[in-house]
This record gives sequence, structure tokens and C-alpha cells, in this order.
Amino acid sequence: MDESMMYWQEMFSSIITYVSTALQMIGLCALFIKIGKKGWKAFIPIYNEYELSRLAKRDYVGRVLILFHILSMVVSITVSYMLVDDPDMDKLWSKIFLLAELAVSICVFMLELRVFNGLCEVFGKKKLWIAAWAFIPGITSLIWGFSRKIMPVMSIIDVKGVEESGHHVEAIEDGLTVNIRKRTASDFLKRKTLLKDIHLAIPRGHMVLLLGGSGAGKTTFLNAVTGYEKADADVLLHGRNIYKEYESMKYDVGFVPQQDLMRGNDTVLMTLEDAAKLRLPESVKRREKKKRVQEVLESFGLSMLANTLVDKLSGGQRKRLSIAMEFISDPTLFILDEPDSGLDGVVARGLFEKLRAIADSGKIVIVITHTPDRVADLFDEVIVLAKDVDRTGRLAFYGPIDEAKEFFGKDSMEHVLLAINQKEEGGEGRANEFVTLYNEEIKRKAG
Amino acid sequence: MAENMEKQENMETQENKDLKHTGHMAQTGIYLGKLFRMFVFQSDWKVMPMAAIIAGLVCFVVGGNLFKTMEGTLLGTFALSCVCIWNGFFNSIQVVCRERPIIKREHRSGMHISSYILAHMIYQAFLCAGQAAITLLICTMMKVTFPAHSNITPWPIVDIGITLFLTTYAADMMALMVSSIVHNTTTAMTIMPFLLIFQLVFSGGFFSLEGFALKLTNVTVAKWGLTALCAQGDYNNLPMVALWNSAFKLSGLEVDTDNADIQGMVENELLGIDPEDTTIVELKEILKDEGIDLGKELSDAATKRINDIMAARGYKFKITTKKPVWEAMHFIEENGLKEELLHKSAEYNRNPNYEGSLENILNCWLKLVLFIVLFACLSVASLEYIDRDKR
Repeated sequence: MDESMMYWQEMFSSIITYVSTALQMIGLCALFIKIGKKGWKAFIPIYNEYELSRLAKRDYVGRVLILFHILSMVVSITVSYMLVDDPDMDKLWSKIFLLAELAVSICVFMLELRVFNGLCEVFGKKKLWIAAWAFIPGITSLIWGFSRKIMPVMSIIDVKGVEESGHHVEAIEDGLTVNIRKRTASDFLKRKTLLKDIHLAIPRGHMVLLLGGSGAGKTTFLNAVTGYEKADADVLLHGRNIYKEYESMKYDVGFVPQQDLMRGNDTVLMTLEDAAKLRLPESVKRREKKKRVQEVLESFGLSMLANTLVDKLSGGQRKRLSIAMEFISDPTLFILDEPDSGLDGVVARGLFEKLRAIADSGKIVIVITHTPDRVADLFDEVIVLAKDVDRTGRLAFYGPIDEAKEFFGKDSMEHVLLAINQKEEGGEGRANEFVTLYNEEIKRKAG
Repeated sequence: MAENMEKQENMETQENKDLKHTGHMAQTGIYLGKLFRMFVFQSDWKVMPMAAIIAGLVCFVVGGNLFKTMEGTLLGTFALSCVCIWNGFFNSIQVVCRERPIIKREHRSGMHISSYILAHMIYQAFLCAGQAAITLLICTMMKVTFPAHSNITPWPIVDIGITLFLTTYAADMMALMVSSIVHNTTTAMTIMPFLLIFQLVFSGGFFSLEGFALKLTNVTVAKWGLTALCAQGDYNNLPMVALWNSAFKLSGLEVDTDNADIQGMVENELLGIDPEDTTIVELKEILKDEGIDLGKELSDAATKRINDIMAARGYKFKITTKKPVWEAMHFIEENGLKEELLHKSAEYNRNPNYEGSLENILNCWLKLVLFIVLFACLSVASLEYIDRDKR
């Protein structure tokens, strides 16, 4: 092939690329305007892809895509410089960078496919459009931008969550005081607010139900309360700040996780003995530790199973052992994340009665459960967490069970849950309404 | 009254909270107990017979020439290093990641990560020492010849044993580090083959590497294990049999053309005889006098006539029309020059890295110990962030 032919081929290829990019930008501009976004965002390279991914409800993919685009640019520039010194790409580093360029391009392409897939879902279009977006992006974006037939079938409006109450509860000397202003977490180049504006006080000897739909931030709330995942908050247990004295106070907080995380090859007795060694202070004599282990074994009905391997226990027995492991240090604050998961009604009821007895002995017990109605009578209060429109966990109610039913206008806790759950989850989608209502109620009470 | 009791209870609770809890060493003891229980009651003990089987297979295949010849030693020590790395990797590649949620829970309850890793280090040291001992035992049973001289301890077998232990342990700690970094067993088992291949390819002894690839060998456990084993086996003072073996393979080669020149060439190559040597010159003259053309097939009668003349004149070698290499080898063996030839060829293939000196071996051991410490530290550092695991 002669040089002039190559020149014209390259020229033609460049023109095609530029025209396609320009058409894509115009199409994206029209698409953004059509769904209420700012059109000028379509003309900023790379950023327009991020906006497109947000539109496709692929926010995370969009952020990864930005990173890969930047990486791709860096690698391409490096390769261009290398081509000057090493036109035949003979050197090892030239080959490595060439391979890297190829690898990054493949990653970008795959990520873009995910975005296009999201677009098809949001606009209710066939998956065939993914190929059109991938191979003829200019024309496709023009069609999507200007066609009146292509409209989103899902909600894509950016909305703001409920405003903060500004309320702050006074610390109680004998109990747990929680004032969580905000709990955020970074999620790949973005800061997400997981919890906001949660203020409550639980007196000693109370057993509290923690209710909320999936993703409402129940476990995040519990982790923030125990100091395990710190929030912008003040959490005081009997007047002592858990965050400031976490190292010494963590032994006074028992957290039973949802899964039974124990070693299956240990016996029940060994598991409890090791838990006692880990959790009880050094000053407690070996004899006393053994005595405590025996007490807990009896208390949780595990004495007969002391020499049984954990692997051989039934679901209910494992759950009791998991609780016993935390109870061995006699914690003041006892938190359980779905202790009744996988248990039948009778066994679950028995377990909750045991927890009630623990609360009656002067402890604070907080429990998450997805089947609250079978044991609702055992709880003193309920904390209702709800996901507001910007998917932040908010306090929708805190108070006695009866008052909760009255507040939500429902006759059971499961119906309360349905009222606050989002419509996509089969709920009534009234979380915002109740969060606002509860904030007003608090303000009214505070005068 | 009730208020006073409550206050007193609160004070007691506060005092209890300020009490010291189980320290690092005591926690290490607790986890060691757990691990040894796993060894006895679970399947961990199975790594011992597995090590025996692998060692047996390797000794069967490469044990014959181990520490006897250069090539046999390189091949055998490479195989032994591979065995060590394999054993080390399999000991601990899953031990941490398979119980990651449990570690997270226990860390939340006051478990020290350093104690947990230290317990694993002690336990894995026990496993690796056992595997090294088993490998040595199998080698002895399979009649592998160990070096006659020791470098560090009075017993060569102990020196070799320490190297096997350190290599296994360093690989073990590398796998422990991987197991601490990754979040599940699937990822760990996906990464392991890549690490294994990297160790084998960049061991620096078996595959010829240059430039950057050669520098990469310094970061592999395999290189230092292999180097230490070769140094202990006195690699550089062992005979090299590659040339002899190659010649032996060629000994059946039948040559029908220009025998005199080929003979001369073989003599020149093998014995360093100058082609201008009078024997060769005279041989060529005889061929010319007898009217035998160079490049033409030499008849048996002509060959016999030449050999008779050569013998009458006092020359020791014979010319053959068919197998000149065999003739040369036969000549070398008849004159007791074989050993000299093997050592001579070894002289040109010595590897300074495998110098059998005390410093070299200690340097290799030091590098392996550094790897062990580094991997253990990285294991602790990565596990310290376990609380950040996504739920």
C-alpha cells in the first residue's frame, strides 16, 4: 500500500471518529434535555459518559468508567511517546504498555456495555440496542435523543431527602443515649450518607425492637451504636462515651451477628471457654471463668451439649451458642442481628423470652427481626428506620409498640414495615411522609 | 437505698470496664490450641502423608543423580524446591480466608490480629518442619546420596533439612499473606497457580533468563531455596555429564564420508589434539599414498590396512569407517580420561551463584527468613483492615 493511500485511509478514519463523537454529543444533549438534565453536560468528554451511566442507574459503573478513561488516556499518551523512540515496539516496556492499552480498552468497552444495558432497562427497550450503542454510538444517541417514542419507564428524577429535625436528645445517666448526626461511607470516588439524624435514648432494662426494610441501615445503625463503625455521633452508655472509650468499653457491648460465626470443629464447651478467655478480664481467675462458662451453659440450655461439636448442633442450638458467646462477658448493652433467622416459631419465641429475661436483669437489649409480630409483646419500644428518597436511613419512629401502631395507623409491625418500604419492594413507599411526620412530632414535643 | 445500690453497681461496672483483658501472648495460646485441635480432629494432619507421597514421587524420578552430577543436582534441587513451595502453599492458602467472617467477629470482641497471625506462624512452622523432616526421611529411604560435607551444622542432612524447612515456611507465609488479603477461598485458589508458576519460572536456575526477568528471580522464594540446596550440594565441584551423554547418544552415528577429517575433528574436540599433530598429518598422507580419495567411502579392507599400519607405527587409536564418536569415547575410556573430561566440562559450566561457601548458604537462609518476616508483617497489616470488609 503506497503512502498516499495510507494517508487518506487514516484521514478517513479520523473524520469518521470525529463525526461520530460530535453526533453522539448532540444526541446525548437532546437525551439529557429530554429527561430534565442539563444539556451542556453532553459536551464534556468522559463526564458525559458518567452522566449517561447515572441516567442508566449505573452510578458506580460510571465512576469506574471515568477512572478507566483517565487510565486509557495516560496509557495512550505513553504509547505515543514510546512510538517516537521505538517505532517498531521492540522494547519490553513498549510491549507491556501496548498490552496495557489493549487491556484498558477492553475494560472500557465492557463497562460501557453495562451502561448501555442499564439504559435499555431504564427506557424499557430491547437488548439489541446495546449493540447499536456499542458499534454506532453517534447515530444511536441521535435516535434516542430526538425520538419521542424513546422515554424512560423508570423514575430517574434526582430528589432531595427529608430535612433534618435538628433535634438532639439529652444524655440519660442510666441507659443508652444515641445522637447520630450522620454516618457516611465512601463508595469509589463518592461519599454516600447511610444514616442521618437519629436521636434516641433507651433506659436500662429495656428490650427494643429495631425495624426497617432492607437497606434501611439497621446493621449500620447497630454498628454505629456499638462504636464498631464510627459515625458523626455521640453515643453514651450509662454516661460514658463509647466512641472515646471504645477499647475498654467494647467488652461491655455484646453483638451477636446474623450468621452463626463459630468454628465447627470445636465443641460447645471449648467455644465458650475460648470466648471466656478472650472476653473476660485477665484478673478473673481460671476457676471463676470455668464457673461462668458453666453458668452460661445452663442458662442457655447447652449443658447437655457441652461436648458436642458445633458442626453437629441444630440451627436453634447454634443460635443459642452464638448468643452465649457474647453473653459470657455479661455485657451491659446486648445487640442481636436477626437472632431468629432460620428458627421455627416456637424456638424463636423461646429465644426471645430468654432475651426478655436478660433485659429484665438490667441490661439493654436491641434486636433486629423480620418477624416481629410473633414476639411483639416482649418488647418495650420499637425503633423504625426507613430509607428516604435519597436512600439514606432515617428515624421514622421511636417509642412503645402500641404508639407505633397508632402513629403508622397499622395493626401490626409487619404492616408498619410495608408502609415504609419503597414501592419497588412491594411496600407503600411512605417513608418520607412518616420521617417528616415523626420529625414534626418530636419538634412539637420539644416545644 | 435503691438509688445507692444502682450507683454502686454502675461504679462496679465502670471498674470492670477498665480492667485489663487477655494480652497478646495469652491470645496466641488460645488460637494455637484451636489450630492444634484442627490438626488432630480435622483434616490438617493429612498434609503430612501428602508431603511423603510428593517427596516419594520426586525422589523416584530425579533422586538418582541428586548431589552426584551437576545436571542431576540442578534438576533434583529444583524439584525439591518445587515440592517445598507446593507444600507451603497448600498448607495455608485457605486457612485465613475460609474463616474471615469469624475473624471479623472475634476482632470485634477484642482479638488481636498479631496474636492470631503469630499463632498461625507457630502452627505453620510445626507443619513445615514436619514436612521437611518427612521429605528428608523419604529421600533417605529412596537411597538419595546426600553431600558428604556439611557447611553449617556438623551434619549435611541437617543443613539440607534447614533449607527445606525455610523454603517451605517462606512459601507457607506467602500463601498465608494471600489468604489474609483475599476475601474468599475461590479467589485464593485462583491466585495460587499464578504464584506457583511465577515461583517456578523465576527460580533462576532452570530456565535461562536475562535482563529484567533475571532480576525478578531475586524476589522468588524458589531462587533462594534452589541456590541454597545447590550450594550445599557443592554444585560447582560436581562432574558434568551432559557432554558425555550427548556424545554417547551420537556414538552409534555411522559416517561414510571423509573419515580422516571427522576423526581429526572428534579428536580435536574431545582431546584437544592439534589437527596439525603428526598423527593426523601422517594419517592423511597414508590416505593419499594409498590412493584413497577424501570424501569417498572407505572400504573395510582399506580401513584395516590403515589401522594395521598405524598400530605398527605405535599409534594407539584406530580409524573406523562407521562409528568415529564411539571410537573416540572408547579411546577416552580405555585411557582413563573420562573423569577428567567430565570435570573439565563442568569447569566451564560453573555457576558463581551456587558457590558452596558458608557465606552463600547463610545469605540464602537470611533472604528466606526476610521473606518470612515480610510476608507475616503484610498478613498482619492486611488483616488489620478486616473491619472494613463490606457486609
